[in-house]
Amino acid sequence: MIEPAIALYGSTFQSVMKTLEELLRESGARYVMLLDRKGFVLAHKEALWAPRPPALDSLATLIAGNAAATQALAKMLGEPRFQEIVHQGEQNGLYVEEIGEVALLTILFDNSAPLGRVKLTAKKAAQALEQLTREAIVTPNKLGIDTDYRDGANALLDELFGN
Amino acid sequence: MSTINFAAREINFKIVYYGPGMSGKTTNLKWVFGQIPDTRRGDMVSLATEDERTLFFDFLPVDLGEVKGFKTRFHLYTVPGQVFYNASRKLILRGVDGIVFVADSAPNRLRANAESFRNLRENLAEYGLTMDEVPIVLQANKRDLPDALPVEMVQMVIDPDKKYSMFEAVASTGVGVFETLKAVSRLVLSRVATAG
Ligand SMILES: Nc1nc2c(ncn2[C@@H]2O[C@H](COP(=O)(O)OP(=O)(O)OP(=O)(O)O)[C@@H](O)[C@H]2O)c(=O)[nH]1
Ligand SMILES: [Mg+2]
Repeated sequence: MIEPAIALYGSTFQSVMKTLEELLRESGARYVMLLDRKGFVLAHKEALWAPRPPALDSLATLIAGNAAATQALAKMLGEPRFQEIVHQGEQNGLYVEEIGEVALLTILFDNSAPLGRVKLTAKKAAQALEQLTREAIVTPNKLGIDTDYRDGANALLDELFGN
Repeated sequence: MSTINFAAREINFKIVYYGPGMSGKTTNLKWVFGQIPDTRRGDMVSLATEDERTLFFDFLPVDLGEVKGFKTRFHLYTVPGQVFYNASRKLILRGVDGIVFVADSAPNRLRANAESFRNLRENLAEYGLTMDEVPIVLQANKRDLPDALPVEMVQMVIDPDKKYSMFEAVASTGVGVFETLKAVSRLVLSRVATAG
């Protein structure tokens, strides 16, 4: 990993999940998801009443790509950033809040959750998450990603792609 | 509810297929998608134009399995190769862990290969990265073309010092596709294992 990695586990992960749960409850949204700027899902939470979400991997990738494109557009227009990314359809909406430099908070909601409330609760959660993601930035070897790990992963590569 | 257990540690790597327009980047991903068991991969997302040229990116997540308690996954991306898509191409390089440069073996694409490679260097520089800091492997694709140039010549214009490993491929029939992906994955793993 060339950029610093975000690794969420242990108590930091629990705190993130608690923040996401609160956000889900207070916003009335269907799903909330924390992802990094590369489009990897870090944590997510779904309302019990919500239908199964679409493939999270794909969703995260598109949201990160969309956010990157939106901020590139802002720069071309001489804005340091566009404040918020929001998409609203007839039934569903999507709201994205930037979490510092490293992450994105995404909220998927339907028309039972007013956008105003989604935004308000998202901004509150964003503050907590910014601190938590900062704590979660680590170097790989601190996590035990070492030569043993490499050798194990290489063996799996042979298994999947043949020798 | 999702079956993904986020309490378990998970490690993801981002591998980007770069190269000139029509060199076969998307074809590489399609082959991987079609060949590995569907339990080991997710959906493929393609943002393409009507005529199947990549507009923003293709995306394919591949699950390697669990190593030392880490769920290990490779996220494969392609960039749009066409010159005028540079603004979006640059965005895909964000956070890249490894690069496959797919060169075209056709004689009339020799220059396009060179230009794309130079463009890669420039775009990495915008993220403060040099070519030496990112694991890179080369692929000479379309070896089946009757007028395919010698591999040495393809490599000469992009990598005269032969710094990178070069793999011959026919992505449309899968020749060399796994070998290339395996090689870049190994470089990425070595790098992360020895990183401070
Ligand atoms: N003969 C031959 N054709 C190939 C090979 N690989 C890909 N092609 C064809 O080349 C064309 C372009 O392939 P793509 O994979 O879409 O190229 P790309 O690099 O993704 O192109 P952009 O998205 O524009 O950057 C398609 O018609 C493929 O079928 C190969 O090994 N041999
Ligand atoms: Mg393509």
